[in-house]
Amino acid sequence: MAPIVQISNLDKYFGRLHVLKNISLDVQPREVVCLIGRSGSGKSTLLRCVNFLEEPSNGSIQVDGVIVESHGRGKEHRQLIHDVRLKTGMVFQEFNLFPHMTVLENVIEGPVTVKGMNRAEAIALGEENLDSVGMLFKKDEYPMRLSGGQKQRVAIARALTMQPRVMLFDEPTSALDPELIGEVLNVMKKVAKDGMTMLVVTHEMGFAREVADRVLVLGEGEIIEDAKPSTLFSKPKDPRTKALIDRYRTGGR
Amino acid sequence: MKTDSTIAHSHTHPTTQAELLIQAQQRKKRGFRMGVGATWGMLLLVLIFLFSGQNILGFQTIKLDGEFMRKNLGFIGSGLGETLLISSSSILLAIFLALLAALGRLSTFPPIYALSTFYVSLIRGTPLYLQIFFFFLALPQLGVNLSGFTAGVFALGLNYGAYMSETFRAGLASVSKGQREAAAAIGMTPGQTMRRVVLPQALRFAIPPMGNDFISMTKDSALVAATGFVHEVMWRAVKVGRAQFNNLEALLMAAIFYWMMTLILTFFQTRLEARLAKGDR
Repeated sequence: MAPIVQISNLDKYFGRLHVLKNISLDVQPREVVCLIGRSGSGKSTLLRCVNFLEEPSNGSIQVDGVIVESHGRGKEHRQLIHDVRLKTGMVFQEFNLFPHMTVLENVIEGPVTVKGMNRAEAIALGEENLDSVGMLFKKDEYPMRLSGGQKQRVAIARALTMQPRVMLFDEPTSALDPELIGEVLNVMKKVAKDGMTMLVVTHEMGFAREVADRVLVLGEGEIIEDAKPSTLFSKPKDPRTKALIDRYRTGGR
Repeated sequence: MKTDSTIAHSHTHPTTQAELLIQAQQRKKRGFRMGVGATWGMLLLVLIFLFSGQNILGFQTIKLDGEFMRKNLGFIGSGLGETLLISSSSILLAIFLALLAALGRLSTFPPIYALSTFYVSLIRGTPLYLQIFFFFLALPQLGVNLSGFTAGVFALGLNYGAYMSETFRAGLASVSKGQREAAAAIGMTPGQTMRRVVLPQALRFAIPPMGNDFISMTKDSALVAATGFVHEVMWRAVKVGRAQFNNLEALLMAAIFYWMMTLILTFFQTRLEARLAKGDR
């Protein structure tokens, strides 16, 4: 099967800092890939390069047949980035819901404004997705009235309502109180079960072990390990992976 | 659930330490507000007494020409429409210019950024009074003849636009980077992001200070009287006051009109602010 996401020879520099070093990665349709690694390892940057929230310094990204090269300029390049963003949904650590819109308005904003979908159709689709994350009952509330876990579930529904081919999760539970993490992870499990291709940057080792098809370990801007969770968690090859896993094990997660 | 029952339980005892504290604080606040209200009332009475013209216990208070005031109340008051018209026209121009200047300040293109800061610096560096005369008296020398009203609106709009641009800039800065990223991630163009996500939040932030600016503009619009061709409250007061040597009465009436106007506008401003605060922030 052709990979639905293909990252080829990707480099990213922040000034003189080399944060991603010649990374190549294929993700198959319906695959759930977790990216783990210490903070500063480049895992979030890698994820943000997929939808060009960070412009890669070198290399190319392919998402569902759309190929975007780094160093692109002009209208055509912007159109390609736009196409990639329509094919990817993103969930942020800080939720980033639009505070001036209700829950439902948040969810239908993309389909209506960006895709030009008619409002009734967008509402039907939005309500369906809010229902699937268990947030339909708050559809007329403003985000400030929701808990962190509820906000993140709405953010997931917002991304899903764009009907993306791939979902990108950037530490979706890191800003949550411990007791709220479970409800978000459960929704993510459901999304995975429905067959969504997912790239997940996370510190939740339990989630990675249970849900991921593959776990990638990043260290100093490189993929230092790429394995099935069963292999990776029981027999980590790289000492850095072992240290990482041990740290979370003693941390109780 | 266990937690629910404990919360419900605590509500059955209304006099916990915390609630007593809150009640005491509320009592204190109420007392303070009543004290302030009573003092306001007394000051107002003193003011009225001061201008009552009575001789009380050998103290002669100021005697006003009641006849003149009754006769000219309508004349001065009929300037209110003009005052409000010039203020609202100017605030619209100011909002437009302030938005342009604030967006210019965000530009990474040097000429645009420079244009914005140059405008703000020039206008804030010169007196409003001078700007009004510049439009009314200096431009005709260059062959541009503006009516007193137009000159006033240009000057007030340009002036307030420069000050308000700072408010808008702060509003735009209050919208986090995450908001733009979330908009970009769902495929919004920069224009859509600005219109749908950034501006609505920035404007909400800027509305209370904009209300303050409007209130102070209704008063600064009095400066336009200096052109002699805009028949707003101040112009009318000066005209009848000078003509009949009743400046005291005329200016007092104008002052009361301005004060009433700001009181009414402040009332609406406070309500608007409360509603915004309650909304969705």
